[in-house]
Amino acid sequence: MVSKKVTVKNESGLHARPASTLVKTASKFKSDFFIKMYGYKVNGKSILGVMTLAAESGAEMELVLDGPDEEEALEAISELFENRFNMAP
Amino acid sequence: MSLENQEAIPIREDIEVSYLIEKLKERTQIDIEAYAGKDYSKKKLVTEADLHRPGLALAGYTDLFTYQRIQVIGNTECNFLRNLSESERTKSFEKLVSFDLPVIFITSGNELSNDLLKKAENRGIPVYRTELETTKFMYLLRDFLEDYFALQTMLHGTMVDVYGIGILISGKSGLGKSEVALDLVERGHRLVSDDVVMLTKKSNVLLASATEMNKHFMEIRGLGIIDVMSMFGIRSIRYQKRLEVILELSLWEDTENLNRTGLDHDTVEILGTKIPLIHLPITPGKNITVIAEVIAMNYLLKHYGYDAAEEFQKKIKKHIADKKNRHDMPRRAVEYFEGDFE
Repeated sequence: MVSKKVTVKNESGLHARPASTLVKTASKFKSDFFIKMYGYKVNGKSILGVMTLAAESGAEMELVLDGPDEEEALEAISELFENRFNMAP
Repeated sequence: MSLENQEAIPIREDIEVSYLIEKLKERTQIDIEAYAGKDYSKKKLVTEADLHRPGLALAGYTDLFTYQRIQVIGNTECNFLRNLSESERTKSFEKLVSFDLPVIFITSGNELSNDLLKKAENRGIPVYRTELETTKFMYLLRDFLEDYFALQTMLHGTMVDVYGIGILISGKSGLGKSEVALDLVERGHRLVSDDVVMLTKKSNVLLASATEMNKHFMEIRGLGIIDVMSMFGIRSIRYQKRLEVILELSLWEDTENLNRTGLDHDTVEILGTKIPLIHLPITPGKNITVIAEVIAMNYLLKHYGYDAAEEFQKKIKKHIADKKNRHDMPRRAVEYFEGDFE
């Protein structure tokens, strides 16, 4: 199991589009993916789960990955947070 | 995915006394009047769901006094105070309010003298008064507080009400939980929440609901997000439902330990409450929707006292015991076939 704290950097927060990019990326990997925020743990491969958090710009969350390809998955997902989900700022 | 070891999170750590009074009046329609120290009700916080009657504290024994709880003064306490001499009464009450009490409720229409109320007010303790009987009031207040301080957790899964039985469909992403729920809704059952289920523990029962965000949306892979309530109408949804059975879907691979008789009952513990768990591998030709309905009906039958697996077990045991000779062959269920011409 690996985990990492990340911050939402894009201005509009984790709305439907970034959430969809996040879920799609996570679903490419076999590992289980959870996001910890407010003490809750939501499934990062579920779009409604991710959107339930309604994470705003600047919000901090912990990515938790568990499975055979956890390292690669964590890298790919944290890169999305760095790149503002490949969206225009 | 493990359903166990979910972190339990209290809805709130504390409630302002003023907020508590406002909501309590709104929800339970109890008449509560501010008696003294109303100005302090915004500053005082209630941090526990438990209530306390300070009889012993008034009598002078304060060693294990749970002063941080809401204090309820009923007939017993008031009678006790009334039977004291004035100086003793003042001393006793002064000792009580020397603790940092969150709030005092005077119940059953009892009254306190102005100088005692003044003492509470000087200590910054709000006092409220109600005509309602102590035990009834305590029951309502306790139920209300339990809701506010209830532990909750979030699970990944889809919650449906099937024939009145709350079933949580769980399993890995992409197994088709939402599709099963959609199929159930189409057959007249009701959706509580898709993908994210909020569970709240209230008096040993787990109550499931959607979150404010996902309520009555559903994600169907390939389609995207749909709104079940506007599509299927009000009868297709439910705001809350008790969690009664968990149906865990899995892929065909690991099916060695499947329950074949229904005599053994698997459970999973969530927030300290045991919930029956059914493992179901998805195989070709298996209609999960119908199975979900069968699970609900079987649960209802058991609830009303008929357990099919137990009945079958009884029947076979009786048959084995009654067998007269060893070569008693299995017999057909029909004794005599009348002609069945076509």
